[in-house]
Amino acid sequence: MVLFVGKRLLLFGFMLLGLLTIMFLITNVAPGDPAKLMAGQNATQDMVETIRREYGLDKSLPEQYAVYIGGVLRGDLGRSIVSTKPVVEELLRYFPATFELVLVAMGLGILIGVPFGMLSAVYRDSWIDHATRIFSVSGVALPAFWFGLLLQLYFAVHLEWLPVSGRLELITPPPEPVSRLYLIDSLLRGEFDTFREAFQHIILPALVLSFPCLASILRVNRAEMLEVLQSDYIVAARANGIPAFRIITVYALKNAMLPTLAIIGLRFGWMLGSTVLVETVFDWPGIGLYAVQSALYSDFKPVLGVTLLIGFCFIFINFLIDLAYGWLDPRLRTQ
Amino acid sequence: MKKFVMLGLAAALLSTAALPAAAFERVGDRKVIVFGGRQQVPVIDPHVRYDWSIRMMQQSLYDAMAKYNGNPAKIEPWLAQKWESSPDAKTWTFHLVRNAKFHNGDPVDAEAVRYSFERGLKLNKGVAWMLKDVLDPSGIEVVDAHTVRFNLKSSYAPFISWIPWWYIVNPKQVKANEVDGDYGQKWLTENAAGSGPFKTKRWEQNVLYELVAVDNYWKGWPQGEKNRPAGIIYKIIREPAAQKAALQRGEADIVEGLTPDDYDQIKSTKGIVVQSHAGMTTFGIKFNTQTGPTKDINLRKAIAYAVDYDSFVKVYNGAAILETSPFPQGMQGHVDVPERPKQDLAKAKEYLAKSAYPNGGIELDYYHVAGLEEARRIGLVLLDNLSKLNIKVNVTPEQWPNMVAKGSKPDTAPNMTSVYVTPISTDPDAVAYQYHRNAWGQYFAMSHYNNADVNALIDKARTLGKWEERAPLYAEIQKKIVADQPEVFGMIQNRRWAHRDYLKGFAFSPVRFTGEVDLYPLWIDAK
Repeated sequence: MVLFVGKRLLLFGFMLLGLLTIMFLITNVAPGDPAKLMAGQNATQDMVETIRREYGLDKSLPEQYAVYIGGVLRGDLGRSIVSTKPVVEELLRYFPATFELVLVAMGLGILIGVPFGMLSAVYRDSWIDHATRIFSVSGVALPAFWFGLLLQLYFAVHLEWLPVSGRLELITPPPEPVSRLYLIDSLLRGEFDTFREAFQHIILPALVLSFPCLASILRVNRAEMLEVLQSDYIVAARANGIPAFRIITVYALKNAMLPTLAIIGLRFGWMLGSTVLVETVFDWPGIGLYAVQSALYSDFKPVLGVTLLIGFCFIFINFLIDLAYGWLDPRLRTQ
Repeated sequence: MKKFVMLGLAAALLSTAALPAAAFERVGDRKVIVFGGRQQVPVIDPHVRYDWSIRMMQQSLYDAMAKYNGNPAKIEPWLAQKWESSPDAKTWTFHLVRNAKFHNGDPVDAEAVRYSFERGLKLNKGVAWMLKDVLDPSGIEVVDAHTVRFNLKSSYAPFISWIPWWYIVNPKQVKANEVDGDYGQKWLTENAAGSGPFKTKRWEQNVLYELVAVDNYWKGWPQGEKNRPAGIIYKIIREPAAQKAALQRGEADIVEGLTPDDYDQIKSTKGIVVQSHAGMTTFGIKFNTQTGPTKDINLRKAIAYAVDYDSFVKVYNGAAILETSPFPQGMQGHVDVPERPKQDLAKAKEYLAKSAYPNGGIELDYYHVAGLEEARRIGLVLLDNLSKLNIKVNVTPEQWPNMVAKGSKPDTAPNMTSVYVTPISTDPDAVAYQYHRNAWGQYFAMSHYNNADVNALIDKARTLGKWEERAPLYAEIQKKIVADQPEVFGMIQNRRWAHRDYLKGFAFSPVRFTGEVDLYPLWIDAK
């Protein structure tokens, strides 16, 4: 097991290095001069050079790469040319917002996806099954951008039930940070009004983000449930007179959940990377928005930082899944 | 268990349904104005960077010796109560007001002015380009505590037009926060050391920026102490649809950057006012005058005569005026140039016949900023118009940084590039210099225009002290540029904002940047 974990960790490191190298090259061959952009539209050439020197952009590409990788190994991801701040500091500022959004979206995906997947399997080819199929196909097909605007227009503008954007009302100060997740921090601090506000603000973006994930959880769960419900041990359970509700929720669901858990793990990483559009529509100050804003200014250190963070999360989750598989199936440990 | 789940769900739904439509925000008995803008404010250091949102904040936190106000824009005394220049426009003396104070109570004196200009020049960022060629830090002289003199390296009449851009920082605060001789840059990124009408309060990057009004601001409050707001919240709302929604709900009191259709639709909404004013931002289609087919002046003329100019205005639903010269109408020294081409297909064909491509049969690239719908639609107009000359147009969207990179050299500049340019001073030199050979490499000089006569006229005009002597030169410059047709002179779009009708004090001035609003005179007239 130790060898298995060691090999996986080594692979983990190489994958991150590969990811960084590819992203570094892509961002540096892209046209556009961040120093020129930051110097301003009227800046003279020597003003541009001042900024270039300050951010090490005057060095050759291999030199810049060596300096960057050296920095990454020391935990320094460079400095944003737009905000002038260290990227690590900014990631720490923005990541909790994304993490909170993804957690709630994933919660919604599981809470809605699993029961409905189960129902559509139990009532196969009934109206429930057809309705959830339409629902899940829409979930995958609807563009997040458009769906978000639609929800904003209906729930925020028309019904005035929910706020248009942001994490809190304008005048409300964020709760004193513990986890930097507003829902948790406000509860820990006993600020229930702030919790209510944070909850109202997160509903729409979380719903939009959860929709494609919810759809795939639902479909996978349905398929697995169908298979499990036809297996011998379920037939035996039925023959023994165990109530149908107990068979489905206790005996069948547990086995059907194994592939669903794998999907949840993968989707979690996917969600981190796909918050960009949702965060833009709802002005959610997370890493997706940070990456987009930085890319628009050709500010590539933050883009690299965000890519590294998302890549790390994605690889780490897959690493955990690998470990889980290895634990469940000893044959995999030696392969 | 079932009951518990149902109760939980009901409670969650009720808690969301209980949210009322927001009214204006308050602090105590004073109101807070909420501005919904699309652009962030990453840096507020007045000598490091500027764009419209940054400048709006800088203008609120800092004072300069003079300020642009009114329409047409005039330079008004601010920290300086008066100034005079030598006849050759080489020496400028400013007399400061005596009651101005920084936010920490320190007086704004001549040394603060000297230090601020020295800092701006030595950092060599942001506003430095305006004065670095004519002013050395050693040329700034403190005459007495309230008098400062600028001894320029050469005569420079537009000097005064840049003064409103040079904000005065408190040297004591800046020096106290210096790190490794950085002139306090790190600290001033999100902190202010100014004397303006507002101070910083909350600074949440990518979310909102909150300013709080200064009690007993040295200049007083134009809306009266009783009516002045408690502060301003600049909230970032990136999507125009979300901005519109926030305005309709009263979550924002004023927004910028809606689409033309949104402005038209919202202006008839009860309780909402749309401000629409001709600014100085010009739109032009810059030809590459050095390489490719558009090097041929007859082809450029043919294209300029083939264009349907009225459609430029229609793209903005009528909220634009056509340019009548290379200088915008609000600019000092502007003259109408009657020779400016208007749509005339016969004339277009005449010029085409004289060009190296008498039968057309060529393909030209038209680049526009990706996501700028109006520029794309103008590209489609061009595509249609030039098809009559048997010229094919490739309408190509491009990210702004890439477009600037391409346009910086004659060899890579596209045949035609759509560019919006906002002059940031009322002095005609600010526009004329865009057509100078020295401007090559800048985004507004993508045409790489070069006419020795025009260069000489521009150089001469900036050294003359008297306006009466400068004005004829600028008139000649405008005519010569039109004759050379380095671009299709387009239109000046209106700058627009939408705000709630209870928001008062909005004062437009064309020299400000596109979305910029002077926050100082704003107030909310409602209970």
